Amino acid sequence: MVRIQRPAAFAVGIMMISAVSAQTDPGVRGGAINGQTGATATNPLPLASVTANTPTGVLEFFDDGLDRFQEIDNVSGGTAGTGLGPRFNFNQCSGCHSQPTIGGSSPASNLEAGVISAGIVSGSTNTIPSFITANGPTREARFPFFFNANGTANTSAPNGGVEDLYTVSGRADAGSCSLQQPSFALAQLANNLIFRIPTPVFGAGLVANIDDSTLLSNQAAQAGNGLGISGNFNRNGNDGTIARFGWKAQNKSLDLFSGEAYNVEMGITNETFTQERPLPGEEVLGTGLPANCLNLANKGYPEDITNFAAKSSPDQFTVNASIPSDVIGFSMFMKLLAPPIASTTTPGGATSISHGSALFTSIGCSVCHTPTIRSTQASNVTPSLGNTPVSAFSDFEIHHMGTGLNDNVSQGNAGGDQFRTAPLWGVGQRIFFLHDGRTSNLLTAIRAHASSGSEASQVVANFNSLSAASQQDVLNFLRSL
Amino acid sequence: MQARHSRHPMIGGSLLGPIVGLLLVCPTGPVEGAAQIPAPSPNPPGKVPAGVILVKGAWSSASDSVTPLPEGGTVAGREYSSAYFHLSYPISAGWIQQYEGPPPSDTGYYVLAQIQPPDTQRSASRGTVLIAAQDMFFASAAAKSALELVNYTGSHLRADYVVERRPSEVKIAGHSFVRLDYVSPVAKLHWATLATQIRCHTVQFTFTSADTGLIEHLVAGMNDMKLPPEAGVSSGAGGDDAPLCIKDYASGGNVLTRVDPIFADRHYNPIPARVVIDRNGKVKHIHFISSFPEQAKTVTEALQQWRFRPYMVNGRAVEVETGILFGTASDKTLMSLSGGHAGR
Repeated sequence: MVRIQRPAAFAVGIMMISAVSAQTDPGVRGGAINGQTGATATNPLPLASVTANTPTGVLEFFDDGLDRFQEIDNVSGGTAGTGLGPRFNFNQCSGCHSQPTIGGSSPASNLEAGVISAGIVSGSTNTIPSFITANGPTREARFPFFFNANGTANTSAPNGGVEDLYTVSGRADAGSCSLQQPSFALAQLANNLIFRIPTPVFGAGLVANIDDSTLLSNQAAQAGNGLGISGNFNRNGNDGTIARFGWKAQNKSLDLFSGEAYNVEMGITNETFTQERPLPGEEVLGTGLPANCLNLANKGYPEDITNFAAKSSPDQFTVNASIPSDVIGFSMFMKLLAPPIASTTTPGGATSISHGSALFTSIGCSVCHTPTIRSTQASNVTPSLGNTPVSAFSDFEIHHMGTGLNDNVSQGNAGGDQFRTAPLWGVGQRIFFLHDGRTSNLLTAIRAHASSGSEASQVVANFNSLSAASQQDVLNFLRSL
Repeated sequence: MQARHSRHPMIGGSLLGPIVGLLLVCPTGPVEGAAQIPAPSPNPPGKVPAGVILVKGAWSSASDSVTPLPEGGTVAGREYSSAYFHLSYPISAGWIQQYEGPPPSDTGYYVLAQIQPPDTQRSASRGTVLIAAQDMFFASAAAKSALELVNYTGSHLRADYVVERRPSEVKIAGHSFVRLDYVSPVAKLHWATLATQIRCHTVQFTFTSADTGLIEHLVAGMNDMKLPPEAGVSSGAGGDDAPLCIKDYASGGNVLTRVDPIFADRHYNPIPARVVIDRNGKVKHIHFISSFPEQAKTVTEALQQWRFRPYMVNGRAVEVETGILFGTASDKTLMSLSGGHAGR
């Protein structure tokens, strides 16, 4: 297991509010990371009861999960983790989930753009797609539709699966595996290419621990809002309960979320997703992956499993934490990770933030971005997860966001234009916004909520009706989160 | 090792039949990627149209394309008109519908039109008109009429708002409406909601502006609306040219023959349907307010087999419009037909 200790490479691009009259996004909030004293770019803080190691041993699980979240995986051999590929987006969870600290969203410096120079992929067999740039955002790519023989998109055949950016072909540890990248350039020509950026996972354990009835009560309380808003929930197809993770709330649990990401983003098979994943086209056409690209780690499947022969240690809790698979380790890390803490004074000062908060509610933003959901159910994991209000600024419903944000990808019951209300806690220190990271400007992100078919158009009209000073207060409030 | 087979033979067999692995590569042998990727054709490749939602989730649909639907109103020129509600609303000069509303929700909430001045018009006095409808068969709020629904809204306003005018009846274009005004002191925005009931829907006009004079001007403009005779705060149950709307008609002894739909795939979303029953007790028209296409097909096949007791008015059978909620949502506020009770 190798940990990368990177400097705080992300740009703390604080834009000072000048004496101009127009409202501007104050930019990434400076100061304490996640608003937490003691947090650093490589050491996010766990929940308070985890810090207190209650129950005894839980802190070891958090630390172990944090280590695994930073693990760099190779294809085979060496001392690092193995199983990478044969297709992947990056070789380390924290390479993409790192702003403002590990567990966050896309950093300013996009490591996906440096994979050739870093020796992660071979430059003789891979190219950096045009939409992957050094200044970010970190992206995964999807083709909403399959293609016809003549290169046109077949809009009668929805695809929507992740098209991994890179292959292991040409790496010294990848044997004779020969795979090509998807043809992103042609997909771009056909306008058949969409992006997603990493969702931050701070406070994810609290989100997981909200009972469905609490979410339903919150939904019922928003009825009759008079703003054109009426969302619903993306429900797990197996048991009908509310799913809540991912851009379209397509994943029910953190275990599922991490298992899928390990398989899809890094190409590592695990006890939740046990087979190597071909590209969507390879899957539906039945071609699958070539034999010489399977079992590259030479250890069979799945590549990540429960450590039945736990490592030896005089510390029983170290032994305990080492037993679960990486996927469970990731899940445990996310579950125990503390939510960001909002600033009451930065940016713009306490008066502006307080006014912006009141405006945020008054003009209707809070109908979807519910400031606080009360409260989580009792927890057997650690006390901080139980009976706790969740100030995520989300109702965890999916809403129609119209033609402007539509990506023509369906996940679960969510259609192409339906997205989970993005939690806003921590938005003050995020760099990229919206599901595809199309903007770093909060004002642009707000206005992108309005388009034909969007539930948010009326609220955006309300926002636009505010004075520039009031809009600035809303922006300051958002950057305080 | 042999190539793996698709886990989706049905998809591979039909829907994806013409699809080739344009973006795939040969799993074995020489690198053929360049050869596999066709050279750019003389014609530029067709593009996925921008700004079009092609992959939809649960959406509205109907069993025929001629029967007017609640969401089928249009903004044309200076008028919003709805054949379903038999109403027309004159739009202020220069105002436009910049964005169409979202599809109907699974609780029967419709954004019929959103009207406002264009962004280029930066006058001091700006506002918006939101025309919406709530299907009273499927409303989340415990309200049986437009009057009750607006009373509910007024009594459940958040603390951020101050009521400026409690729900009270007013006359608009010769019909009774209920009006509720409130203000956000912090945003300095005023809202006026005026609602009436048509075909068992609460039709709401919500005006928003910082300028109360503009709001009064817009409310006064409502007097030029055309409304059906039934429109009223507690009436509005169809009849005349429209079917008579009766909540929960598809229950008890009214249903002579019932065949429950069996959903093969998706199970956990509510499927609210408005059904028109003809004078002979057969289903004449189905409007799915929210459903996936395969669900609509399944329900349609089932409903075509249903037979109802004809509804008699003055000894004469009349058409009835009612709501039936299919599907389940693990939501205690919903009751599925399979549980023996239709509707809420």
